[in-house]
Amino acid sequence: MTLSHYLALSGIIFSIGLFGVLTRRNVIGILMSIELMLNAANINFVAFNRFLYPGQYLGQVTVIFIITLAAAEIVVGLALIMAIYKNLKSVHVENYNILKG
Amino acid sequence: MTEQIVFYLLASVVILAALGVVLLPGLMHSALSLGLCLAGVAGVFALLGSDFVFAAQVLVYVGGIAVLILFVVMLAGNVSDQLARQINQQWLPSLLICVTFVWSFLRITAYFSGITAQSAPKPAVRELAGLLLGDYAVPFELVSVVLLASMTGAVLFGRRKAE
Repeated sequence: MTLSHYLALSGIIFSIGLFGVLTRRNVIGILMSIELMLNAANINFVAFNRFLYPGQYLGQVTVIFIITLAAAEIVVGLALIMAIYKNLKSVHVENYNILKG
Repeated sequence: MTEQIVFYLLASVVILAALGVVLLPGLMHSALSLGLCLAGVAGVFALLGSDFVFAAQVLVYVGGIAVLILFVVMLAGNVSDQLARQINQQWLPSLLICVTFVWSFLRITAYFSGITAQSAPKPAVRELAGLLLGDYAVPFELVSVVLLASMTGAVLFGRRKAE
């Protein structure tokens, strides 16, 4: 197994997540696609750490920080989605247009 | 040889589950597929020899975030959402953008094609603890502040309005 296999896997997952973010109508689906993109980035960090810097662990430390911040982000995001859903009674993003200024 | 078999099995599981997250019409199936995909990514971490990241991925993502998303899927949404179309009208340009991304990523990874691992992976928990409590103690504490802020924010957004 070479580094390029892991990078290709991560690139494919990232692109699938990007497709979900661009096309999903459901806001929870968009949030799940963002999680896919974050996981693709994590695979990249760990793979570079393993193959290019074998004796160091900075990539894994970064991944731990990313996992923590992703958990914080998803908690706030889901709380916001529930608050918006209580007001608008819809989970589709094209209905989230009351902030027109 | 075993590593290649495990890698291709994990990669196919992860990619199929990721496609399921994006393409399945039912959001419940999509969330379950997300759990499978995150578990597969944890397997990739284990294959890369990073034991603590594997454990953290299983604990936080598969055990925490996937379950949280399942709860919100069950709480939010109407029954009629199952019948509505799940993707918007811009799927063709989005597909072109994503195909371009995949193509360029595969081109870039060709630069790293000859690199293999020099040594077997070692357990990393001791070194990670040394880094997190030594050189990176300040970001480590800042992250706990961020977690506290996000918890407070979630309670604030999620509470019922006072009458």
